[in-house]
Amino acid sequence: MKIIIDNIECEAQKDETLLQIARRNDIHIPTLCHNDALPGLGSCRLCVVEIVDKGRRSVVASCIYPVRNEIEVYTCSDKIKNIRRNLLMLLRGRVPNDETIKKLCKEYLVPDRIKFSGDKDEHCILCGLCVKACQELGASAISTVNRGITKKVTTPYDEPSAQCIGCGSCAYVCPTDAIKIEEKDGIRNIWNKEFQLLRCTRCGKPFATKEQLEYNREKLGEAHVKLLCESCKKAIIAEKLKDIYEKV
Amino acid sequence: MMSRTVYVCCGTGCLANNSMDVYKQLKKLAQKYEADVEVKTIVKATGCNGLCEKGPLVKIQPDNICYSKVKPDDAEEIVKRTLMNGEIIDRLLIYDTALKRRVISHKDTDFYKCQMKIALRNIGEIDPANIDEYMERGGYKALRKALFQMTPQDVISEIERSGLRGRGGGGFPTGVKWRQCSKFQNFPKYVICNGDEGDPGAFMDRSIMEGDPNTVIEGMTICAYSINSNRGFIYIRDEYSLALNNMNNALNQARERGLLGKNILNSGFDFDIEIVRGGGAFVCGESTALMQSIEGNVGEPRAKYIRSVEKGLWGQPTVLNNVETWANIPEIIMKGSDWFCSIGTENSKGTKVFSLVGKVKNTGLVEIPMGTTLRELVYKIGGGIIGDKKFKAVQTGGPSGGCIAEDLLDLPVDFDSLKEAGSMMGSGGIIVMDERTCMIDVARYYLSFLSEESCGKCVACREGIKRMLEILTDICDGKGIEEDLELLESLCHTVEEASLCGLGKTAPNPVLTTLKHFRNEYYAHIIEKRCPAGVCPELTAYEIDKKLCKSCGLCAKNCPASAILGKRGEAYSINTQLCIKCGNCIDSCRFNAVKVKKEVGK
Ligand SMILES: Cc1cc2nc3c(=O)[nH]c(=O)nc-3n(C[C@H](O)[C@H](O)[C@H](O)COP(=O)(O)O)c2cc1C
Ligand code: SF4
Ligand code: SF4
Ligand code: SF4
Repeated sequence: MKIIIDNIECEAQKDETLLQIARRNDIHIPTLCHNDALPGLGSCRLCVVEIVDKGRRSVVASCIYPVRNEIEVYTCSDKIKNIRRNLLMLLRGRVPNDETIKKLCKEYLVPDRIKFSGDKDEHCILCGLCVKACQELGASAISTVNRGITKKVTTPYDEPSAQCIGCGSCAYVCPTDAIKIEEKDGIRNIWNKEFQLLRCTRCGKPFATKEQLEYNREKLGEAHVKLLCESCKKAIIAEKLKDIYEKV
Repeated sequence: MMSRTVYVCCGTGCLANNSMDVYKQLKKLAQKYEADVEVKTIVKATGCNGLCEKGPLVKIQPDNICYSKVKPDDAEEIVKRTLMNGEIIDRLLIYDTALKRRVISHKDTDFYKCQMKIALRNIGEIDPANIDEYMERGGYKALRKALFQMTPQDVISEIERSGLRGRGGGGFPTGVKWRQCSKFQNFPKYVICNGDEGDPGAFMDRSIMEGDPNTVIEGMTICAYSINSNRGFIYIRDEYSLALNNMNNALNQARERGLLGKNILNSGFDFDIEIVRGGGAFVCGESTALMQSIEGNVGEPRAKYIRSVEKGLWGQPTVLNNVETWANIPEIIMKGSDWFCSIGTENSKGTKVFSLVGKVKNTGLVEIPMGTTLRELVYKIGGGIIGDKKFKAVQTGGPSGGCIAEDLLDLPVDFDSLKEAGSMMGSGGIIVMDERTCMIDVARYYLSFLSEESCGKCVACREGIKRMLEILTDICDGKGIEEDLELLESLCHTVEEASLCGLGKTAPNPVLTTLKHFRNEYYAHIIEKRCPAGVCPELTAYEIDKKLCKSCGLCAKNCPASAILGKRGEAYSINTQLCIKCGNCIDSCRFNAVKVKKEVGK
């Protein structure tokens, strides 16, 4: 089926999301809570677009809107620009010193005039990506608690979580770098819990926590996971390939 | 000797007023006197009668006498005089404010006469703990009719033709929902009753579940038959202990009679229902959040681009309806869609139950035909404004509903006209406000509720409501500036358009409707720095009109800050330094001598 995004005709499969289709066609739609590996949150609302379906206009979140009809889509109408500007203004109020949001505010011409007051140390926009990442990898060490204006992301009872394996996936997916990881003297501190870092047997760099490797061992059923960091793993594969080519 | 039946209302409202003690006392005394006089008395516990604030209510049949505000001490007199001798005890009769006299039966009051009971047909008429009484009044006949005389398609067509729209808020056509769900051949399918009733001001769903649980069960079973579902859930908030209890009991009795479970009435059709207790968050009443909650997850809504009729509970086709919607189903099947269509307006058929509260003389549950005007609701059924103060606004639709001003009092109440006025039907809460209400304070109150009850998942709703609330608070505190109104409106539109679920999409209603109907009041706060209703403490000063003051001293007696001074024979006066702006003086003066100052010296 065909849909029209900003006057460009795009090929679409049933139940593909609008965002997927737009991105495939190089049409830019801003997002904060979207991650291709962890889709479906729909919480930041920045990806809203206007659609016309059988003559009816509405505003939808493109990252979760499944295409079923041959619709027309407008990704940057005046209405949409206004909504994005307000959303960014609201986000800036929540995380006034966050660089990611500041940059977006500039890009979308959010007026400086209106300033909502917020916590200067806050960086979390409550998008939920970290919670989802941790849940998907199977640890479920963190979650959102409370609702409404008191909602936050934390470990159970704000205490170091027994489930956390210190893998840092949560920090990795966070769009605003809100989750602090400190590494010093072979110790990683995340969510108020300390982890001993293991060194890569090839380059000697501390790269993963003991808990993380144990977890992988258990989950992947591998009796011996080699103590190699990602870049060394790649380097070894490259060497092997080189060997093969040289022999050929 | 005539055999009489005494009904003591044991709805939650009346229970809170000690109706259980009245019940026990009546039962005890009736037994005690039974020996020497031949009076047969049955005392029943019946569900909510509607006239809540006049409770506990006691009805005596077949005399059709209704006593209000009965105390356990009155039992002796009731038994001796009324039950044994048929005498009427005048002082216990209901005083009808519209007729300005006491009436023998609650059914003689305007409060009752303007009503029409479909969903509440059995409330207060039967003992909810006894399925036989439901059956005596035609209960489960509709189920029999559906199972043995109608095909599933017939059932759906009948509901479709009736024009019934969901009573839980959205007003979606019920028959259309069932039709859509029936088309998906993906099993199992589920039927859900939404008994969350998150609106703090509404209690019609509770009353139905307490007073007539079987109608919900029957309605759900009929639907299950029509869409071919075998499993249903009733989601009830945990605080509703009586509803939980009565529903559970009704489910057990229905199973015992073969009306629920395997092979219902030997028709070959299986259906059973489980109760799920809800944690009580407002947002859990939203259909997708409710399903999350039944699945055992955090009750957060999901986008509804794919509807629950296709992918609902556990991803399966699901029909979810509100308690009151279910209560209408058996009647429509029994009496037919033509009958139902004859009631109501063009696009809103049947009746709607409202919980009428606020500054009216009669409050409680009322069921009225769609299209009844707000004026009738406030002045006839509600009996007018308390203390004969001036009417100011009605708020409809629950926390995210809107406020409607006096010029729209002749608005016929139905789904579409309320929406047009910027408000909504919502849960059916109706709050009547008088001149002593500040509309900005009202908007602030609702936003503060919503800011806490939003699930907090999406930016538009969570952050938007928070900032709108800040702006409203500033305005009430006298810190508002003119640009605030533009910003408020802009935020309203963003929150409306960009929120994920219905809570956020409707949250700006309190602000938008007050901005539309009461804009001058915003200007008064922002520009003149005064609150015309005399509510916002920072923007209020009171004075006593010397000409009107009769120097009775009532205001001084009621002033908690001892800020009012005066002597008999002289006009009283207010020391503005001491005044805490509670407004007790205005409300207590019987001569309207206390005024809100037109200017607030700062
Ligand atoms: C925030 C929010 C709260 C809601 N709360 C309730 C509720 O307490 N009870 C209810 O029946 N419907 C509630 N609804 C409406 C439901 O989502 C749903 O539309 C309704 O239960 C469907 O049944 P109906 O078609 O019979 O009305 C709520 C909706 C929203 C957005
Ligand atoms: S570091 Fe801990 S909380 Fe973060 S994703 Fe890994 S296990 Fe989860
Ligand atoms: S910490 Fe980062 S990923 Fe997690 S909710 Fe906050 S912004 Fe999103
Ligand atoms: S609109 Fe509000 S209640 Fe609904 S999902 Fe978003 S944050 Fe939650």
